[in-house]
Amino acid sequence: MNKIFACVIPCIFLFTFLFALFKKVKIYDSFTEGTKGAIPLIVSVFPYIATVMILSELFLISGLEETFLNVLAPVFDKIGVPKEIAPLVFIKPLSGNGSLAVLSDILTTYGADGYIARCACIAYGSSETAFYIGAVYFANLKRKNLTTALVVSLVSFFCAVVFGCFLAKIM
Amino acid sequence: MNAIFAYLFIFAGLTLLFKNPELFLSTVLNGAQKSATLCLALLTSYALWLGLVSVWEKCGINEKIAKFFKPFLRKLFKTDDDASLTAISMNLSVNLLGIGGAATPYGIKAAQLLDKTENAEYSSALLFVINATSVQLLPTAIVGVRASLGALNPSDIIFPSLLSTIFSTALGVILIKAVFAIKEKRSAKNPAPRPAFIQKTKAGVR
Repeated sequence: MNKIFACVIPCIFLFTFLFALFKKVKIYDSFTEGTKGAIPLIVSVFPYIATVMILSELFLISGLEETFLNVLAPVFDKIGVPKEIAPLVFIKPLSGNGSLAVLSDILTTYGADGYIARCACIAYGSSETAFYIGAVYFANLKRKNLTTALVVSLVSFFCAVVFGCFLAKIM
Repeated sequence: MNAIFAYLFIFAGLTLLFKNPELFLSTVLNGAQKSATLCLALLTSYALWLGLVSVWEKCGINEKIAKFFKPFLRKLFKTDDDASLTAISMNLSVNLLGIGGAATPYGIKAAQLLDKTENAEYSSALLFVINATSVQLLPTAIVGVRASLGALNPSDIIFPSLLSTIFSTALGVILIKAVFAIKEKRSAKNPAPRPAFIQKTKAGVR
């Protein structure tokens, strides 16, 4: 099964280049042309990422994050979400790399096959990192009224986690 | 965003001030350092995917995929702008494959193009929610992590995971539609707040 997944990305590249050969496209020239676009993209995005990361680091070190988690844990238990995955649910919208670290931490602590692990995996897979999307995609726009969109994303992510934990129980 | 940032920063800063003030500078610098590391990682992945994407564009693969998604997207996003619809459909299809790195350049392009259209507030909110709740056909990263930690059947979460991500996206789209329907109704009923808002900004400019 895993081998099949591992084949997806190389196949995309190979198929693209074969098709480009067939279409007589100058592959090297167009590839480098696209790559050139990466630098201005990063330059336009960097200030927003830096600002958000500074804030999230401050939030973590000041201990506010832990306080939040402690407050939230009993609430989580009531709605059928194991409280062990609370840190994951909290960090997932903030940081992709951070949440992957938390996920593997949960899997090593509680076993990769158990109910908690399955809940954690489903919670991780049910959404993207909303704040990252906000910072990167909508970084240099004039009309920035994304509060509605952000709140809606967080609400639907949370509902999906509750739904996912229910699925983990019955499937 | 300005208000959220200010309040969170002040609140966290104050907490740290009482707890451990000498940690403050190292913490904020550490955050900035992490962002630099992340940007470097992003730069490498953008370079790769933008290169591939540019080959797609030259072959006309983009237009083929876009043709397939467009009729549906036109209705959903309520826009007729062809270039942004193409960008959105590429963003979506790459997202479906689970290649987040390749989806980002298209997402940024789509957001910038949508920003210039009439209905920008609604359509960019929708783009945000669809990207933030991501529909992924193959959660490759999770299956990989589970397999490496010795799960007996690492891929048995694919189906429930797919159901829950479809659930989150559908709920997000419905909520956005509902919020904007309510907003429209309100502004249709009492158009009074608008002139007040314009006056305020004018005064601000002066």
